[in-house]
Amino acid sequence: MRTDAGTGADAGSDPGADARSGPGAGAPRPSGGLRHALGRDVRTRGRMCLDALEHLVGGLGTAILALVGLLWVAAVALTCLVGVGLLLVPLTARGVHAVADRERARLSRWGPDVIGPARPPSGTRAVLTDPAVRRQVGWLAAHSTLGLAIGLVGVTLPFSAVRDVTFPLYWRLIPSGDAGYAPEFWAVHDWWGVLSVVLTGLGWIAVFVGFGPGLARLQAWPGRRLLAASHDTDLTLRVAELTATRAAALDAHAVELRRIERSLHDGTQNRLVAVSVLLGAARRAVARDPAAADAVLERAQDAAEQALAELRTVVRGILPPVLADRGLAGALTGLAANCGVPCRAEVDVPGRCAASVEATTYFVVAEALTNVSRHSGARQAAVTVRREGGRLLLRVEDDGHGGADDTRGSGLSGVRRRVEAHDGRLTLTSPPGGPTTLQVELPCGS
Amino acid sequence: MRIVIAEDDLLLREGVALLLRAEGLDVVATTDGPDTFLAAVDEHRPDVAIVDVRMPPTHTDEGIVAAVEARRRLPGLSVLVLSAYVEQAFATDLLSEGAKRLGYLLKERVGRVEQFLDALHRVADGGTAIDPEVVAQLLTRTRADSALERLSPREREVLALMAEGLGNSTIAERLVVTDGAVHKHIRRIFAKLDLSPTDRVDRRVTAVLRYLDDTRRD
Repeated sequence: MRTDAGTGADAGSDPGADARSGPGAGAPRPSGGLRHALGRDVRTRGRMCLDALEHLVGGLGTAILALVGLLWVAAVALTCLVGVGLLLVPLTARGVHAVADRERARLSRWGPDVIGPARPPSGTRAVLTDPAVRRQVGWLAAHSTLGLAIGLVGVTLPFSAVRDVTFPLYWRLIPSGDAGYAPEFWAVHDWWGVLSVVLTGLGWIAVFVGFGPGLARLQAWPGRRLLAASHDTDLTLRVAELTATRAAALDAHAVELRRIERSLHDGTQNRLVAVSVLLGAARRAVARDPAAADAVLERAQDAAEQALAELRTVVRGILPPVLADRGLAGALTGLAANCGVPCRAEVDVPGRCAASVEATTYFVVAEALTNVSRHSGARQAAVTVRREGGRLLLRVEDDGHGGADDTRGSGLSGVRRRVEAHDGRLTLTSPPGGPTTLQVELPCGS
Repeated sequence: MRIVIAEDDLLLREGVALLLRAEGLDVVATTDGPDTFLAAVDEHRPDVAIVDVRMPPTHTDEGIVAAVEARRRLPGLSVLVLSAYVEQAFATDLLSEGAKRLGYLLKERVGRVEQFLDALHRVADGGTAIDPEVVAQLLTRTRADSALERLSPREREVLALMAEGLGNSTIAERLVVTDGAVHKHIRRIFAKLDLSPTDRVDRRVTAVLRYLDDTRRD
């Protein structure tokens, strides 16, 4: 039996639970320890059922994806027999991995994290011998059949329950009432029949309450079993990859600090020194030739203004204040508006990402648009940013003459370093003659 | 006095040139990088070169390298190095070749026109001009067991001013003492650093170099 302090804490601790726990929530709070405990049990059970429903629906979604994936894998396997399909193997492996990523993300949201294996290799032979790929295809088969069936049952049960329990409210409105309407397998002609339908509905509720959470777990089981990286090789690869990107992060950090130091020393400080030099010259000139002194003073003021402008640029390069003020969408729209060529920005990122990710996104777009204005000869450009699960997808396109190359020490190599430091990926497509497309994928980190 | 300036920042380059020309000095060329600077030295054979440490392409020590090369090509060239910040390694690199006709100043000193011109003339006349900031940093980083520890605080002050390249009378002015007192301090410094009284100028330079060397080994 719970003490008063305990129940008080319980009542106040989880306001969201009441909202989610369905029927029991709105009822007046019964007095007495036993009824308290009962109410809590009902609430917990109700919450579990709603969670189960959510998981089953989500699982149904990934199961449909898995079914599409399975059909595709089967088609590729068939074309492999005539040889053409072999070319599609690496692409298919990446597709399967992407579908599995969805399931991994879904499972990680309500249970222990499912850490995936490394991205599939790019060679056909390597893909075919990769145990991680095989496990994922196995999951694909299990989830697109068993998972799909469980998902359908899980969605049908609550639907039937609602339909049957509310039957008394609408059975008279049914035009075919005379002939007897059958929401279940038997015809209904009178109130006894209605009662039987309602009882069946209650039965469906009982079945769902009893088995829903179990069904959700059963549906998740193949994923939890097959989608996690196997314990030996895959994780060492993943650790190696993380170590490399971490080193890249530290490196990018050092490069970034170096850049800031340089722009302060060689830019801003030089301007201020120039101000000081010109002021010194002006002071000497005041005695000799006041008219000349004024001209020198004007130059000194120019230099001071330039110093301020450079300081602003440096600060913006560290963490753009506009990000804090207007968010990623506002900041990127501003960049697009200031671009040298007409530029359209579409930003669809609900919520905020980690500050470093937003700053990197801003930096990438700024650098890309600078390149577009300076080198591409484009007539128009477009920036699109959207969020997919835990990843931010960024795309900058222009209709210029192409030929951009990030390996030749341009600003783009800095962009690539910064993106990879955040465990992201950058793809640059810029054939001679254009158009140029820069695609960046970043983990949101939030 | 014929002067060549090497500084990659346009505004600063023109600012310094303007200042020097207003003082009636002969700025024969202004250059924006090590290569153009060396070409200008070959062409104009100046008396003094004013060189920025950080210049393109890598913005690290191009100025120092170019200054050393310029002195190799044109012995007797006085070099005044300007730096955005104190880098002891640069100072000692420069001075290891001998402190004569050398200066190492922070850029902002240029704004104090009298002192800057003073340093410029001193370097042009074969002397040394080391930035007080450099000297101060060296002073605070002196090792406890070094020979310099035997100096009294006043003597270290005098040595620091010597390291800046100042003459006896200027040192006396700065410390508000008589010339005689400065002489006495300097004699005691030489004695404590075991420098025999042979050539006065060399002894001064040696004392300064020992001082710099001592701090460099930290």
